[in-house]
Amino acid sequence: MSQNTDALLILAGLAAGPLIGGFVTGLDRIVTARCQSRIGPPLLQPFYDVAKLLSKEPLVVNIWQVFCAYAYLAAASISLVLFGLRSDLLLILFIQAVGAVFLVVGAYSSGSPFSQVGAHRELLQMLCYEPLLILVTVGIYLQTGSFRVPRVFAGEKPLLFHLPLLFLALLCALTIKLRKSPFDLSTSHHAHQELVKGLLTDYSGPFLALVEIGHWYEVVLMLGLCSLFWATSWEGMVALVGISYFLEILIDNTCARLNWRWMLTSVLAFGLTLSLFNLVWLTMH
Amino acid sequence: MEEIVAVLIVLPLLSATACLLFKAEALRSWIIVATGLALILTSLLLTAHVPFTYSPPMVFRTTLHEFIQIPDFVLMLAILVFGCRERSKTVICLASLQIVLVTWLELFQIQGVPASQAINCDHLTLIMVLIISIVGSIICFQAIPYMKNHEAHQQLVRSRQPRFFFIMLAFLGIMNGMVLANDLTVFHFFFECTTLCSFLLIRHDGTPDAVRNGVRALWMNTFGCVAFVVAMIVIHHRMGTLDLQEIIRTRPSEGLPLLGLALLSLAAFTKSAQFPFQSWLLGAMVAPTPVSALLHSSTMVKVGVYLVVRLAPAMQGTFLSQCVALFGAVSFLAGAALAVGQSNGKKVLAYSTISNLGLIFACAGLNTPEALTAATILIVFHALVKALLFLCVGAIEQTIESRDIEDMRGLYSRMPTTAVITVMGVIMMIMPPFGLVLGKWMAFEAAARTVPVIVIVAVGSALTVMYWARWAGTLMSDPFAGSFRIERQPALTLGALMALIVAAGGLSVAVPWLVQWLLILPGESGHVPAFLSEGGVLENAAGVFAVVPLSAVAIAGLLHGLWALRRARGARVVPPYLSGIQTGAPQIFIGPMQRLVKAEARNYYLTSLFGEKRLTGWVNLAAALLLILMLGSTL
Repeated sequence: MSQNTDALLILAGLAAGPLIGGFVTGLDRIVTARCQSRIGPPLLQPFYDVAKLLSKEPLVVNIWQVFCAYAYLAAASISLVLFGLRSDLLLILFIQAVGAVFLVVGAYSSGSPFSQVGAHRELLQMLCYEPLLILVTVGIYLQTGSFRVPRVFAGEKPLLFHLPLLFLALLCALTIKLRKSPFDLSTSHHAHQELVKGLLTDYSGPFLALVEIGHWYEVVLMLGLCSLFWATSWEGMVALVGISYFLEILIDNTCARLNWRWMLTSVLAFGLTLSLFNLVWLTMH
Repeated sequence: MEEIVAVLIVLPLLSATACLLFKAEALRSWIIVATGLALILTSLLLTAHVPFTYSPPMVFRTTLHEFIQIPDFVLMLAILVFGCRERSKTVICLASLQIVLVTWLELFQIQGVPASQAINCDHLTLIMVLIISIVGSIICFQAIPYMKNHEAHQQLVRSRQPRFFFIMLAFLGIMNGMVLANDLTVFHFFFECTTLCSFLLIRHDGTPDAVRNGVRALWMNTFGCVAFVVAMIVIHHRMGTLDLQEIIRTRPSEGLPLLGLALLSLAAFTKSAQFPFQSWLLGAMVAPTPVSALLHSSTMVKVGVYLVVRLAPAMQGTFLSQCVALFGAVSFLAGAALAVGQSNGKKVLAYSTISNLGLIFACAGLNTPEALTAATILIVFHALVKALLFLCVGAIEQTIESRDIEDMRGLYSRMPTTAVITVMGVIMMIMPPFGLVLGKWMAFEAAARTVPVIVIVAVGSALTVMYWARWAGTLMSDPFAGSFRIERQPALTLGALMALIVAAGGLSVAVPWLVQWLLILPGESGHVPAFLSEGGVLENAAGVFAVVPLSAVAIAGLLHGLWALRRARGARVVPPYLSGIQTGAPQIFIGPMQRLVKAEARNYYLTSLFGEKRLTGWVNLAAALLLILMLGSTL
């Protein structure tokens, strides 16, 4: 691959995050509203929101929170760029985790109990989805012989046929990552009664905007990971991502928020069992 | 070459004796600093000579093997005497058993002079020597101001520092001797020396707690020594040699020699405080912090992983090797889970050591070139970062007089420098592109084909992130009490911290070159390289890690973050959200009925899931069963 295409891919990755992420979020809000018999905001509402946040006066609770917001955005965008460069999936997950950790550390740095409890819950959520994501990449490795993205596209049959159970595990992780019920414990898109805005309580103004953009990058990365399961055709990729996302919205609208204990035991037990079966099955073949 | 080896082993012992003889504090400090610098330089000189083997000439017609027999027996008797003095039946039994077994070995088995190279130095040895000499010396430097402060608190009539530094320095010489040794009897002698040294260091303060924990360390490690002696007897009985290289070349695939390897692994597990022998390392935290730093990072626990990584080629393709991998993975998970349940900072560090060593054992057990490279990288970076974190916790403990993570809330306002360095240490533990995570990445990719291991390790890794992130967040948290003042630290402390952080950061960027240089693994000359490294990018068929480009991006990100931080200094500072009207005071708000309410939050430690009471018993049981499986499988 020449350096020019690399540079283009890096730019594409950097731009794709906020653009696609923003649109997906806008669509999500409309579909969610329709599910709840509302009309919902215009498609571009997420962009308006972020633009408004960016124009606000910066207020800081703890100066380190600013650093953490930037670090979160940086790590999230680097992981998406690496995905665009078709790098190593495991490495991408590790870098994605860096961002998640900085977001948590930023929340810890505020003295507000809401932020603190949100931070703890976010760590518990990470504890749930990280092993599943790692095992998904391991499944891809066992099937394709490499952690590198290009090998996925070289396959003849979509990965979904080889890794059906791991795809379910990925959907579990996706629910947590998209902050959808029943796993929107640390913070959520709607008003939270017991936790205010949880993890994000004390991020405000432009710094909250950074976190929001970082979240878009992460959403796109996760959807990208989903799309790898039907990498044989473009239509398949888009369709799979669309169906998965719609499923997430349905789950979000039909489930109540649950407590962390339930999340920890059920997601880990369910997800790990599914992954284990799928991985063992792969090694048998 | 001989001179270098002599300096590495003998110089620390001589300086140690000097520390014991000359009581003047200034003189002692100079001796320690000079010895440390000399060790660091000599170990760097050694890099030009590897690989080599060497047998010291006969002195008064005795070989090295015969020469160490007398000190060996003196040592075993010393352990017995300590056992009697502390009235520990377990120590007495184990020490007596060991004496009987060694006598048996020396009298009835080893006849004549065993034809073996006494010293063998390859890249693995070199890396260990570098870690011991450099990290060990840095810890000794920091111990000088630490112990001064420590004794000021204790108000002793007579300083016990000469004895303390005697053991610390001697420990470095002994460790160098052990990793250079190629003859198992010589190795065993040094192995025992470390047992005795750690016992003396742990009980240094002489409190009932210290003595009890010291005795526990003594019996557990003596148990390991007994396993080692039995392994020597078994191996010599069948193979007729105790030459390490010879054993690795023969690759015993079944029967008694394989049992010997399993017993050596068992001895390694006791040294590395793997479950169910973890309690001695947890108990070791009663000792002054430099001791913990030394035991956890560059010496003692690294002996175990060194031994198993060294023996790994001999175990290739055996069920034993798979058992070691599974055992290591379980240890990694269990250590991480137990660390999540702890609010005591030193205990978190201790469990994280056990957990990390477990991952290294898992790599050694997986036994592919990639896994062994991962193991070596993990050994290097674990030593650097763990030493750094222990020294930080030591400095924090001496200032705030607590080692509880809850008491470190808002430490940034009281000790900004130390807090930031500690957070950097934590970042190096869990974030790419730093070496430990690079090692972890290699380990994961190597483990991906072994489903049970990768599943266990994936969960363990998420738990690891959890306890480190929680700690880092707590250090930087509000409320900041009072005004900021950069704390004063002795130059040696600050210098030690800086040296470690620069070394860990710099080496992380240099990993591609380090790996290239490491490619000659024990018994693996001429194999396919595990990773290609070109232009600072590590890659093989399975994966790619662009170390240097990513480091560059990380540095750019860091600078940008700091720039943002600087710019945000001008922003209005507001109190956090507290469900009521803010008063001026931190964390206090006007709640319902106009009453003042103080907001408080504590970390989750999830003791109902991850507490010691809940987990230890089960973990010990699982580990014991795995050990039985490991030993049983060779019969």
